[in-house]
Order: sequence, then C-alpha cells, then structure tokens
Amino acid sequence: MRWNVAERVNRVRWIFLPLGLCALAAVGAHAAADVVGDRVLWAVDRVDAFFDALWSSWSFTAPLVDLVGLTQRTWFARAVALAWELAADALVAVPLLGYDEREAAREWKLGRDLLLRIRSPLVAVRPAAALLVSLAGAFSVARMVQGSLQLALHLSWFAQLARAATLVCLAVVLVPRAVFRSLEHARSARYRVPAAVVLVPLLVAAVLSFR
Amino acid sequence: MRTRLPLLELFLSALCLWAAWYHTPAGALVRTAGAWLFRTRTTARPLLAYFGAGTLVPPRLPPFLAGPVPPAEALAYGAAAVLEGSPVELAPRLRTLSGRLGSDDAALLAVFCGEEAAQYAIDQARSAALEDLARALPPRAEPCIARTAQAAMLGETYALGWPLPETVRITSPFGVREHPILGGWRLHAGIDLGTAIGTPVHAVGAGVVRRASSDGVNGRILVLDHGRGVVTTYCHNEALLVRNGQRVEKGQIIARTGSSGRSTGPHLHYQIDLAGEPVDPLRFRAQRPRTMSGATD
Repeated sequence: MRWNVAERVNRVRWIFLPLGLCALAAVGAHAAADVVGDRVLWAVDRVDAFFDALWSSWSFTAPLVDLVGLTQRTWFARAVALAWELAADALVAVPLLGYDEREAAREWKLGRDLLLRIRSPLVAVRPAAALLVSLAGAFSVARMVQGSLQLALHLSWFAQLARAATLVCLAVVLVPRAVFRSLEHARSARYRVPAAVVLVPLLVAAVLSFR
Repeated sequence: MRTRLPLLELFLSALCLWAAWYHTPAGALVRTAGAWLFRTRTTARPLLAYFGAGTLVPPRLPPFLAGPVPPAEALAYGAAAVLEGSPVELAPRLRTLSGRLGSDDAALLAVFCGEEAAQYAIDQARSAALEDLARALPPRAEPCIARTAQAAMLGETYALGWPLPETVRITSPFGVREHPILGGWRLHAGIDLGTAIGTPVHAVGAGVVRRASSDGVNGRILVLDHGRGVVTTYCHNEALLVRNGQRVEKGQIIARTGSSGRSTGPHLHYQIDLAGEPVDPLRFRAQRPRTMSGATD
C-alpha cells in the first residue's frame, strides 16, 4: 500500500475544515470587537451618565447610581464588548462548524442560487457578516504570522512574503467556504432581527480592523 | 480542484486554530474549560484582558515615593517600578530610545520587548500609541506588552499634577471608611479636598473629557481620559467649564468646586483610576497635603 499523506489528510478534512472556518471567524470577530473598544467605552459612559441622572432623581433609586459607578464602568464596557463578541461568535462562527463540503463547481452554483434567492436584507446580514468577519480574521492571522516570523527569523522580506501568502490563501481557500456555509445557514436561521442588531455594527467594526 | 489541496487546507486551518486558541476570549474559554475538565492548569488570561491588545492590565502599585518626580522622568519612574530598577539609570536610556524610535511608548516597548520588536511595531502600527504598537506584535509578545503597559500607566500617573492649590487640605482620604451620609463601611475611591465654592479646578494632565454630566449622587462630574489606562474624576463641582469629547491641556481650568450631589459641604472629590481600578492619588506624589475634618461625600 502506497503511503500518501495528502490522501490521508483528505480523509479527515471534514473535521479540520469546519474547525478552521469557525476559528477564522472567531479571530475576525475578536479583531472587530477589539478595534471598537474605545467607542464601546464612550457609549457606556453616555448611557451611564443618562441613567445616573435618572436614578438619582428619587431617593429610593439613588443607590442604583453606584451599581455601575465610576469604577465599574470600564469593567462594564469591556464586559459589553466581550458579550458582543461572544454573541457574534454564536451567530457567525459556531454555524460554520456545520460546513459540509460539496464538489467545488456545485458549491459555487448552489451559493449563487442561494444569493439570488435572498429577499430580505435581514437574511443577507449573516452572510455579509461571515464575509467581512472572515476577512478581518484573515488579516489578523496574516499579521500574526508576519510578526512571529519577523521576530523569530529576523528576515523582513520573508515575513512580509509569508503574510501576503497567508492572506491570499485564506481569502481564496477558507473565506468563500465561510460565506457559502453562512448563506446556507441564513435561510433557516431564526431570530433575524436580534441577529441584525448584533451583526450590523460588527460589519462596520470588521472593516475598521482591516489592515 | 479543491480536493487536491488538503495539506494547504490543513495548514491554514491549523493557523486559524492557533490564532483563535491564543488570541481570542472564545479560545480562552475553551482552554479554561479543557483545563477544568482534565484538572490541569490553564495559561489563559482573564477574558477581559484580551481587549485593548493586551494593554489593559491591572495596576501593580509601586511603594510610596520618597521624593518628588521630575515630570521629564515620570516614564522612567514607571519603568523602574515595574523592573524594580533605578529611575536614574533608566531615564537616559529611555531618552535615547525615544529619540531613536520617535515616541515614548515605543521607547518603553523597546525596554521591555527589545528594540527590534519596538522598531517592527512602529513600522507596522497605525500610530505610535502603545495599544496600536501592541496590536502589531505577535501573541508571544503578550507578557512583555503587559509589563510595558504597566510601566506606561504608572509613568503617566507620576506625571500628573494636582487639581487644586497645594495648600488645600484633605477632608477624607482614600480607603475604607464609614460613609458620612449613608452609614456603613465602604471604599472611598478617591480623596476629598475641602475648599470654598468656586475655586478653579485644574486638569492634572492633558487628556480628553470622557464625561461631563450631572446627577444627584456625584453632582456635576467630570471624567478625563489621559490615555495609557489613566483616568481622573472630579465630582461635586459647582460648574463644569468643558464639554464631552473636548481635548484639555495640563493645568487648564476645567471646573469650579462646589457641593453638588450627595455631599456634606463644599469640596472636590478627586479620583484616579488605573485600568478601571481606583488608586490612592497620594501614592504618586511626594508632597502630602495636610488633613482636616470638613466637607466630604
């Protein structure tokens, strides 16, 4: 029997491909959530100031002012960003674990059909988020590869080449699969309005994290 | 076509898993759950520490100062507090590095992560701010980024001035005390400085107004963000002279003292938060204002 590594790896792709897609989206969601951390803090400050003014109007609600006090607001803002990221993971990354690969030409055709059948912007939010978050993840992973190689090997040209290669490979090999799976999942997905509330800001944040 | 690339797909998937495993709160959750399941120790950081590119670290407080800190050497004092070294030796090194790399944050990064890492971060980052520099570095730089962030935070705090004239006395220090209005033992997260209504309040450092609002507990409250995880708060003012989002310079008059909100009389509640944790402002000053009994909150 001939030893063929590629063939053997091919047999377990149903395990590592969904995991890789999920991880790519998780990295992208974190890059997006991290880049808007300051804006989340700003928003929490505004909301906190509004509620502090409201609660302190009556003596029996005044103790609520200290509930998210001056000290807790930074922690609270970070917790909001974390909750947002984990919600995005649940809505975008976790469904990618259900990726079931088909023959390439059939997958592209099916993807195009699913795209043409979208009738509501609410259905398009998840695939759009999958596209931008996966791209944000690709940028983030490529940056980590470059940094690790640069500081380990001290070869600037090699690190830059590795970054570009990683980015292109992820964008060509994994990102389309993530979008395809998301298109497939979006048809049957529930809670479309809450999902849009979570994911639309994430789309903007993901684009901000591109570099 | 795709089935001919299983090795590339495996390699790319492994890269994504590596990045997610070490670089995201979701990865930290999985690592922590795995450690709990197999009863091993996890190296995952607290979930909230994954934000701010690893620069949001809890402050490690330095000992009380023996003498005044020259403003130009504040960063060296911050670095020395983390390295447990001498600020006198670190100051010229930091000046040289700052001149060579073009920013104080990059100089600090060079001290803790090495000059090559700092130079690489400058080449890749969007700005010379520590958070952006840290974002450009790979996951293995996390420990030295955390130490750099500590030093930057302490250095920024050492450089802060004082909001009122030095002669103004403290009416309630930082620490756990019996609350003068509500009763019961609570942490007083800042210090109260007893002064007449209308005394000008000065910004202790350059920064951005993160909050200028009013409520029945804190009164007219002002929060300044000085960057590097340092935030100062001024409560119970009579009037606020700056607005949300405004940039202020060190020494600028930002408010006038009063007794608004939950207060027993005219005073200023002054608070310093490092990475969201309140610290005693006197820990970062050699001069100690005298204390007296008087108005508090």
